[in-house]
Amino acid sequence: MKILRGRDPFSLTSLFPVAILIIFVVLPVSYVIIIGIMDDPVGAFITTLSSPVTQRTIIFTVLQALASTLLAVILGLPGAFLLTRLEFRGKSLVRALILVPFVLPPIVVVVGFLRMFGRGGIIDSFLMLLAGSGQSVIDLSSGIFGIVLAHTFYNIPLIILLVSASLIRLNPEVEESAEILGVSNWQKFRHIIFPHIRRSLFAASILVFLFCFMSFPIVLALGQSRLMTIEVQIFHAFRELDYAGASTLALMQLLVTLSLAYIYIKAGSSDNEYMGSTSEIKTLSFQKMPMRYKVTSIVYSLLIIVLVTGPFIAIIESSIYDPYVGEFTLRGFANLLSTGIGGGLLPLMNSLMYSTLATLLTLFLAIPLAYSHRSKTYGVSSTLSSLTLLPLGISSITLAYGLMIAITVPLGLTTYPWPIIVIAQTIIGLPFAVRAIEVSLQNIDPEILDQATVLGASRFQRLFFVELPLVAPGMLVGAVFAFAMAIGEMSATLFIALPQNITLSIAIYQYLGVRKFVEAGASAFVIAMVCFFAFLILERYSDVTAGGSP
Amino acid sequence: MTSQQYPTRRNPKFLIAGVVVVSVIVIASIAIITAPRPKFIVYTYDSFMVWGDDPDTIDERAFGAFEKQFGVDVEIVRLNLDANGIVARLKAESANPVADVVIGIDNILILQEGVKDVLEPYTPENISFVNSDLINALDPEHYIVPFDYGLVTVIYSTELINTTTHPELAELTFTDLATPDLASSFVTENPQFSSPGLAFLLTQIAVYEKLMGEDWKQWWQSVKEYIDVQPGWSEAWAKWDSDPTISMMVSYGTDPAYSAWASGTAPTTAIAPIHHSGTTYAWVQVEGIGLVKNGPNPDLAKAFIDYCLSDTVQELIPLNQWMFPASSHATLPAVYDYAIHPNEVSLLNNILTRTEIEQNLTAWLDDWAAIMTG
Repeated sequence: MKILRGRDPFSLTSLFPVAILIIFVVLPVSYVIIIGIMDDPVGAFITTLSSPVTQRTIIFTVLQALASTLLAVILGLPGAFLLTRLEFRGKSLVRALILVPFVLPPIVVVVGFLRMFGRGGIIDSFLMLLAGSGQSVIDLSSGIFGIVLAHTFYNIPLIILLVSASLIRLNPEVEESAEILGVSNWQKFRHIIFPHIRRSLFAASILVFLFCFMSFPIVLALGQSRLMTIEVQIFHAFRELDYAGASTLALMQLLVTLSLAYIYIKAGSSDNEYMGSTSEIKTLSFQKMPMRYKVTSIVYSLLIIVLVTGPFIAIIESSIYDPYVGEFTLRGFANLLSTGIGGGLLPLMNSLMYSTLATLLTLFLAIPLAYSHRSKTYGVSSTLSSLTLLPLGISSITLAYGLMIAITVPLGLTTYPWPIIVIAQTIIGLPFAVRAIEVSLQNIDPEILDQATVLGASRFQRLFFVELPLVAPGMLVGAVFAFAMAIGEMSATLFIALPQNITLSIAIYQYLGVRKFVEAGASAFVIAMVCFFAFLILERYSDVTAGGSP
Repeated sequence: MTSQQYPTRRNPKFLIAGVVVVSVIVIASIAIITAPRPKFIVYTYDSFMVWGDDPDTIDERAFGAFEKQFGVDVEIVRLNLDANGIVARLKAESANPVADVVIGIDNILILQEGVKDVLEPYTPENISFVNSDLINALDPEHYIVPFDYGLVTVIYSTELINTTTHPELAELTFTDLATPDLASSFVTENPQFSSPGLAFLLTQIAVYEKLMGEDWKQWWQSVKEYIDVQPGWSEAWAKWDSDPTISMMVSYGTDPAYSAWASGTAPTTAIAPIHHSGTTYAWVQVEGIGLVKNGPNPDLAKAFIDYCLSDTVQELIPLNQWMFPASSHATLPAVYDYAIHPNEVSLLNNILTRTEIEQNLTAWLDDWAAIMTG
């Protein structure tokens, strides 16, 4: 593989994101962990680790994350294929719709999920009707099954999006040649498609695993106190001012997530021979599909519709239907324009503002980071990769507490904390954005860049007119994730924000607390719609720039 | 090759400069709009006094007179947290505190190790307005003094069940609650995260250990397969309100009054306090107001605490906070006839002492978590 000429792989531009990560992640979190453990150096470890509750928590955390990841991959992979290959009307609409679950704040997912799958929910009522029984038939929302199902619902979009971003770059000529040579579909998958998507599938799976491993509000609500993740236990320890216990757990969590990052980087670096390609997408219309594929894809689509759109429909219903009074109302939407105490206008504006700023900042940090991951200097790439993945492995509660005592309070930003909120939201979305950009960078054919240089393009021109447009789909995916993570982020914002800084996600939480279900539903609906339309526009845009003539 | 295939490219430098300029302007204007003004800051939890008919003006009605008298802007900062979270925040800010007063620390939280570290004891001049039993139930050292109080008890929906369908509701015992029929229609809150949940756990421990002389853990062992435990009060309420199979919940003794006030008719919520040998028992939760240690305006803060015990503030509590006012001078609205009053029950706080709770709370919560996750 040719190394791009004239480019210092670990250039000064990546020093800025590295500095940001060190100042706003590494230092605050180490500070919290060290202070906490110094509180009671030996005792904390022994008490925490010897507790049967902690041991059960650790086992459960790992098992549910494994199960959720497996299920999300199994259910997400066909979706990635269908979405990339199948041509149908309203494809960009479906593509955007599928993303919606991922951007919903966890508390909204919980509400939608319970209404759909819980006791007395839509599915249960339907089955009760079928069975003609007055008793509840099925409850898919509680215990480990409910948690795994909710995590799967949440993470299928991640698999679909990351894998299809890579699939879109598979050169159709390779497949056509294989077809001419008469290979079976399985062989084609095994030797051509799978090696192509392997990296992105693995990356996506690791992200899903980490996501489920760190899960907090979903487990809190659906676990009914019987099931806890490590993050739930950290939350509990902080609330009891048990800093030693919280730090011990956070450190353990970090060790697990960093080991995962290490495995992931190791696995990735053995793939250096990989040659990316920039090409057109190979698509197929539904009519041209063989019969049994038609049937499977219809069945699959139905399953996904129930799983993915069900909770969303429940949210739409809750935005206009007040269960307390039992009537339909537009009060929730009117509230979003109200400026009084508990009014939705301020949180709405804050959410849009912070998430937009966080998205811009994320891209600004993510692009140099993604580039520097290609560095050939020994250790640079893997150090940067682990640094980038770090926010994903740190509990957001620990991060929030660290930002609070190490940055906000000493700087006197306590009454003026919005810059820290934007930074917290940025940090949380950064790993997703970097991954998305990195994947699309890897798939650029270096020949094209060389051609640009040969044709007399300056480095600046080459970067802006050739490279960045080619990376644009990845950047858009990254931006979408950054925006989604920022607008849905709750635990860090909750801790740092003063009332004038509250976001819509926090407002939803508050509305539920004061029985304002319609207001909560309408806010959730607006978040979902904002993201939905953002994606729709981005989709359109990315089709124009990425799918351009060869 | 037509020129259409190769569009003229603008110099990206202008685009970048434009983006930078726009971002700087936007960020600067947000910074100016949201810039902090010097204020007298009171920390409290998110639902403080917002349950009335006009929550938008409640701060003005309650604290406007104080603002005029002392020429300050009082800012009631309703942190998006519960009382535990507020203490964690005060702890985090202890190097450079911004709040002067904190409202909402209750009679159990004050016992937790480290909570008193963020507070400074203060005895208000008008403390005589408050019944000394309440003061002693909350904190005899006056790190915090009572602001309001209420009974934590079992409530049920009269639209779903009543004393005819379930006669045991008239004299509910823990044994009744443990039957699969009632246990599976009962929702409570996680005592690790929620103050009514913790009050219910202490109710159960007090009845079992002190009145019945039995191991409290048995009861939880027998109900854990059936009972619904939600993280907090709001989640539990949402479940109780929306799920027709859940008819009973751990909540407050003023809920029927709220139900009557909100609907304008007879309440659809009723109370089933815990009975034992013919006596009715309940746990009283006392919420306190206290001085933040090393806060910026200590003198103003003391005057504010005195002001909060005055009738102006205390008489707003019943219909906005749905708790009983701490001051015995404040009059109660008529709708409070539907509420259960503390003098109608035996208080379990007198049976399970502060010292016992202080010593055992962590162990009890660990045991509870072990039973429920086991």
